[in-house]
Amino acid sequence: MEAVLSVEDLWKSYATRPGGPRRQALSGLGFSVPRNSVVGLLGPNGAGKTTTLKCVMGLARPDSGSIRIFGRDGGAVEARRKVGFLPEQPYFDLYLTPRKLLLYYGRLAGMEASAARPRISYLLNLVGMEDEADITMDKFSKGMLQRIGLAQALLAEPELLILDEPSSGLDPLGKLQVRDMLKSLSSGGTTILLSSHQLSEIEEICDRVIIIHKGREVASGALAELLEEEGECEVLLGKPVPESMATIPPTASWAEGGEGKRLLVPRDDLNAALASLLEAGASIAEVRSRRLSLEEFFVRRIGKQGWEVEG
Amino acid sequence: MNAVSAFAWSVLQDALHRKVFYAILAFSVLLMLLIPMLPSASVGVQVDLLREAALGLTSIMAFLLAVILASTIIPAELGRRTIYNTLSRPVRRWQYYLGKYIGIMVVVAFALFVSLAVLLVMVGAKFGVFNPGLAKAVFTIFLEATVLAAVAMLASVRFSPLVCVLFTGLFYVVCHVKGDFLYRAMTDSGNHALLRGVSGFLYYLLPNLERMNINETVAHSERVFRVGAGELALLAAIALIFSCIFLYLGAWLFERRDL
Repeated sequence: MEAVLSVEDLWKSYATRPGGPRRQALSGLGFSVPRNSVVGLLGPNGAGKTTTLKCVMGLARPDSGSIRIFGRDGGAVEARRKVGFLPEQPYFDLYLTPRKLLLYYGRLAGMEASAARPRISYLLNLVGMEDEADITMDKFSKGMLQRIGLAQALLAEPELLILDEPSSGLDPLGKLQVRDMLKSLSSGGTTILLSSHQLSEIEEICDRVIIIHKGREVASGALAELLEEEGECEVLLGKPVPESMATIPPTASWAEGGEGKRLLVPRDDLNAALASLLEAGASIAEVRSRRLSLEEFFVRRIGKQGWEVEG
Repeated sequence: MNAVSAFAWSVLQDALHRKVFYAILAFSVLLMLLIPMLPSASVGVQVDLLREAALGLTSIMAFLLAVILASTIIPAELGRRTIYNTLSRPVRRWQYYLGKYIGIMVVVAFALFVSLAVLLVMVGAKFGVFNPGLAKAVFTIFLEATVLAAVAMLASVRFSPLVCVLFTGLFYVVCHVKGDFLYRAMTDSGNHALLRGVSGFLYYLLPNLERMNINETVAHSERVFRVGAGELALLAAIALIFSCIFLYLGAWLFERRDL
């Protein structure tokens, strides 16, 4: 599948203070975003998500590595012509009205005012801000500013949309609207790269994920496949055996629930676990395949330490 | 050029919503209007004194405005993070940098125009004299402001607004005393070689801003020296060259800066 964005061996470090030691933010990060996909960029705080997006958008200069957008060098202005970007917690000049702000951004994107005006009206309607279009933004709530942020990202009808925490500050209804909007954009052919802490949002919207930790990719691929591959099996016993009698693989664990005692075992170790149970005299009532949730997958890949940082 | 003009427009909008712009302009106009109330010298030189004091005030107002705007625009946009929304668009960083600079100079030009209008009306009303020659002094004030704004903006790429203002203030002082103080320090054989070297380096490197100060000459109706079009063109060329050098350095640094 053609990649609209490809990042290869990206390294980036920051000085913690002038002349002080440097902190490694990205360490050889690489990933690609296929056309017409919705890709979630995940990672605990400090993993390098925002730095990655800043490098992609030309706001930060990588130490080394390559970024290509629509086949062009990421630093080129032309590469950004078909990209819409929503930074984390977008800020605007609050003395402007949303309409004036979007007209200004339209000029920067090379749009004629005559072409920009109807587009702006459409977008303000799309994000539910048409009634506030001509009010200065100094009295807007965080959620209202976030909606304006989404509108500005969509202004130039981007083919690639890069969103950093798009649901931040939105109320539950607003979050739902954003999800519906992103689904609708995706079905219309827009490629989306989405960074979010809200795993349920990623799981619902994205068809692919990239998980990064300490500036490196730790997992990437089609979401369904990843969750399926890492899934586990649930073994329900007809006749329980004492735990001590069955030498189960170290990766397996016992769980209690409504259906009695169950053994949870990774798919790869299922045969060994079953053999061990049968040898110990247990009878197997049922073996079920269980797909991981994204949260479980994330915790497994990042590890307990990373999750605690996140929480 | 569309992006450059859009950035310039944004500075104008920003300045018109900043209290500091109105405060500096209003304060300078108010002080100008108070000049006639100062204890008068001999009647014959009253108009000269008024013109000189008003031009001095105009200079301070223009330089303050230029330096404050140039020192704060980039740090403020970085602090507010509004810069992410603008520079993630298909624009080049030099376009942003140049557009902001042009916007600052448009604001300064507007403030100078208001000052000149007030000055002309005041001189006309009090002494019945129409003195269009004052425009020459206001023009050279503008030229000097272009250089100071370029220096302040260059510093603002790396430093905080306060450091930029102090740095530009130092630059202003050194560039005004270079013809006298630096020249003497450079040529005095009694000085340490290092001092002579540094003085010489700065003497040849920095612009002579004192040359752009024609306030006194114009205030005294150019009775001693006449400031002709050739001199104004030369001053404009000097200001343009130095502004371009500082703008180029600033844009180069800004291009390499992480946001």
